[in-house]
Amino acid sequence: MKSKKRKSRVKRGAWLFILPILLLHMLTILVPALVGIYFSLTDWSGFGPATFIGLENYKALFEDPGFLQALRNNFKWLVFFATVPFSIALTAAFLLSQVKRGGFAYRIAYFVPYVLPAVVIGSLWKFIFNPDSGITRILSDLGIPGFEKALLGQPSTALLSIAFVDNWHYWGFLATILLVALQSVSPELYEAARIDGANLRQQFRYVTVPGIRPTLVFMFMMTSIWSFLVFEYVWVMSQGGPAGSTEVMATYLFKAAFREFSAGLAAAAGLTMTMFAGIIIGVFLILRKRGWEI
Amino acid sequence: MQIKKNAIRVGTGLAMAGMLALQIMFAPGASSATGKVTVWLEENSTSTCFADVLTSANKNSGLSFAMTAKPQLTEAMRTALASGGAPDVIFTPGPAFTSEFAKAGLLEPLDSYAKEFGWNKSISPWNLALGKVKNKLYSLGSEQETMLLWYNKTVLDKLGVKVPKTTKEFSAALDKVAAAGVTPFAGGNTEWKPVNEWFLSAMWNAVAGPDNVYKALTGKMKWDSAPFVEATNTLNGWMTKGYMSGGLDRYYTRTFQEFQADHANGKAAFSMEGSWRFQNIGTQFKESGQEWGWAPFPTKDGKELYSIGVGSSWGLNKASKNKAGAAEFLKTLFTPTTQANLVMKCGMSPAPVQIAKKMLAGQEKRHADSIVRLGQAAAKGNFGYLTWAFWPPKTQNFLIEEIEKVWAGSVTTKQYLQGIDKVFAGELASKSVPPIPSRG
Repeated sequence: MKSKKRKSRVKRGAWLFILPILLLHMLTILVPALVGIYFSLTDWSGFGPATFIGLENYKALFEDPGFLQALRNNFKWLVFFATVPFSIALTAAFLLSQVKRGGFAYRIAYFVPYVLPAVVIGSLWKFIFNPDSGITRILSDLGIPGFEKALLGQPSTALLSIAFVDNWHYWGFLATILLVALQSVSPELYEAARIDGANLRQQFRYVTVPGIRPTLVFMFMMTSIWSFLVFEYVWVMSQGGPAGSTEVMATYLFKAAFREFSAGLAAAAGLTMTMFAGIIIGVFLILRKRGWEI
Repeated sequence: MQIKKNAIRVGTGLAMAGMLALQIMFAPGASSATGKVTVWLEENSTSTCFADVLTSANKNSGLSFAMTAKPQLTEAMRTALASGGAPDVIFTPGPAFTSEFAKAGLLEPLDSYAKEFGWNKSISPWNLALGKVKNKLYSLGSEQETMLLWYNKTVLDKLGVKVPKTTKEFSAALDKVAAAGVTPFAGGNTEWKPVNEWFLSAMWNAVAGPDNVYKALTGKMKWDSAPFVEATNTLNGWMTKGYMSGGLDRYYTRTFQEFQADHANGKAAFSMEGSWRFQNIGTQFKESGQEWGWAPFPTKDGKELYSIGVGSSWGLNKASKNKAGAAEFLKTLFTPTTQANLVMKCGMSPAPVQIAKKMLAGQEKRHADSIVRLGQAAAKGNFGYLTWAFWPPKTQNFLIEEIEKVWAGSVTTKQYLQGIDKVFAGELASKSVPPIPSRG
């Protein structure tokens, strides 16, 4: 009986401790989110009164070829970021984990691009991609095909070029996170695998990957969510062009809110982005409930 | 004796103070408004000069103008207005923005100030019409602009190409320039996507004709009518032939500095740009040692036409605690003297106010000539309509974004213009189209 009372007191105490942050969270996240949901159901211009129009904004979004193209581009982004940076980062982290001396210097070198602002990186790569003065000019002069035209100026290459730049800044961060996870895998497991005759590839497949799976899955989930929220690199490097080829939901939202005075439509686009992020989280929660070790 | 001396001192002091007060009251530009007036300016190459001119024009008043240059001003102003933290004077990139702010009740009507300061006489009627929402004046357009044809005279002389007056001559000139291995146009939109609308503005007025543009803007003609199809297709032909900066891929990646240098260095013969180019064209061509010139944009019938618009718009914050002071700022800004100084000292385009020719004495001849000719054309009603001044925001954004799909071949001209029609019809119904001044 006494123990029950104590437990209840501890619970109340815990609630009291988290109450301030809970209130702050409600004020800064929950209330604006609810307001956002309301405005997505109105024709609000961003100022003044708003008229309730039901689901019209959502209907308009999914009937707009421009938004559908943006959505498709977000999915392309997701496919790119779910594969390319993970392949590079995992390989780099695994190789780095085998390095006995100077590993720290490598880690710093990988990580540095991540701390640079997107505006700086985007502007720098725009210069590098310049077909008349940048590296692409040199490659073109060397006779390498595909570099005679501006990579950011063609609908067929612009999105991939921006994804390449974003990946350039991102994979080092991912590699560092995965390396930390790798270091928590017991060396005895590798030793046992080696005794059993496992080669490097088999050690990676049967020791490394299972050992870092929770980190890997968590980063995969976060990368997927970020793929639906991408904005800075696209905005700095192409503003969604040319011909909408790099438009993503966030740039579409920005234009709707700030260029067209359609804040209601922008709110609907924002909630759609959140919905996709929510679906990803939902999938991971379901998998976890089904016993996946993630 | 001492009392008498003191009385004389006090009397003299009072008299001097009175004279000083009278001097301040009746000094040019003086007013009864006092205190500080906050103003945000777009951060660009002219913002410091602009602030200096306004500060100098205001030196005799009891007011102080606190002008701050801000990057991304449009977004900052929107957010500040919505949250109640905006400055006393509201600056926007054009009437489409100010009319949205006015509709939301965030701006103070200017009608009483217009009467008091005589703006109805000193400012062009079309500019006053442009600033009205529900018959009330909310904003004054500044930086009167027009689209011009800029040419590298050295290149044209060398190639034996005459400055075109008609669209037909223009096309022939471009073909001749391209055949000689020179890029016909310098251009690029990597820094400012709305560069796309410069060309559409120019071509719709020059080829479809300003009367048809007027009809379309007032809902009496469809945007997908034959004249607009022809105008858009003429532009598309040039763009897809690679006449702009050597190809669409270059156009989408060239900066202002790069393409203007191409023009000044003779890599490109022409440039379709607005009258704001006067700000730097002289310096650029001086550096390259080549000669430049401008001409009215070639039209289908060869008649001289200037499409007009304003590059910025000024209003008054309804929540301002110093409305009288903010109105004084507008009064100071829209005097012919201030506008002439902005032209002479900063190279800016003047607001549509009557500037006497002598005020522009000493100004670069070609620039002064353009101001006079544009002013005369506007006064006679011989003008066209620039998209960034007269088009409502959704249609404007649509025409900027979607034209690239036409150039990429994923959308036809007809589909593009039908799309404009649909968006425009919605905005016309919701009264988002600014008042369109009639011609002639």
